[in-house]
Amino acid sequence: MGLLLLCLGIGWWLWKGVAAMEDPEFIIGPAAYYIINTAEETGAANIVAAILFDYRGIDTLGEASVIYTTVCGVAMLFSKSKYKRSSAGLSFIARRGVSFLVPFLLLYGSAIILMGHMTPGGGFQGGAVFATVTILLCIVFGSSFEMSRIKPKTKETIESLGGLFFVFLGGVGLLAGAGFLANTAAGFPRGQVGNFLSAGAIPLLNIAVGMKVGAGLSTIFYSMVRVLELEFGEQMSEVEGNDKN
Amino acid sequence: MIKISYATAIFVFCIGLYTILSKRNLFKTVIGLTIMESGALMLIVTAGYVHGGVPPLIPMEGQAVNPLPHAFTLTAIVIGASDVALALALVIKVHRRYKTVDLDKIRGLKE
Repeated sequence: MGLLLLCLGIGWWLWKGVAAMEDPEFIIGPAAYYIINTAEETGAANIVAAILFDYRGIDTLGEASVIYTTVCGVAMLFSKSKYKRSSAGLSFIARRGVSFLVPFLLLYGSAIILMGHMTPGGGFQGGAVFATVTILLCIVFGSSFEMSRIKPKTKETIESLGGLFFVFLGGVGLLAGAGFLANTAAGFPRGQVGNFLSAGAIPLLNIAVGMKVGAGLSTIFYSMVRVLELEFGEQMSEVEGNDKN
Repeated sequence: MIKISYATAIFVFCIGLYTILSKRNLFKTVIGLTIMESGALMLIVTAGYVHGGVPPLIPMEGQAVNPLPHAFTLTAIVIGASDVALALALVIKVHRRYKTVDLDKIRGLKE
């Protein structure tokens, strides 16, 4: 009861804070600069993508390294677990349905990644869609099927390649003398705003981040599900032992 | 109208806070963390709204909303997903060692 009152009090306090704010009519600060100059300076139609991958590219590199650190941490915590069992998967109908859906899901993810500089989307979202495909395979067909189709080593390679590609694109700007992760200033072609081939390095950075996020999230899920299956197997054998007694 | 959005964000945040404070199950604590994070993200996105704004995609008709909170939210979503993954991994480790995820029982075992 006291906790509930505490939460209500904090909520009321926060509400007093936002209720005092005015409804803004215009934008000031760096955001106004981005809105005015994005089309000219980067050639990207999606201003959010331009901010993420051009104006604040180093932030995004740090963000990608957070995912990398998480994958390392999860893999390190579960490094010793050896496992033999695999989940059996779901019924025949679910298997047929998912195998019908997977190509469309892959197409959807690729479209989100490749058109990230024109429409809402980008590497992070598309990478999450790709990770969802592998998670679906893992649940519906069982984890050993997923492991045999997409090897964990391949995922690690894809993730590392994505990270290296990102840093390499940043290094191109450094070599051109325009600074790390420079876009049009480093000589990447700007193109026509709204075209598929436009916005310089932003589509390439989207692809790099998509590789990294897709492989990284998939690896996290896979290492966890492996351990859970191991525990489930232990519990099942315990139950079976009890039944015999 | 924008106040309703703020109120929703605060309400969701408080639900998450109450979950973290009151539940002793570690999985429920992680769920509360996720709910709190959603509330914070809603607050950030709402703070970028401009009266009568359109999405920040070129070509724009009229005043665009603030694109900077959207970019920050993308960053925050990825970091939130990462820390939830790491927290769940630690909870799984705790369960393997103590065979329970109840915080009281874990403390009891320690003594």
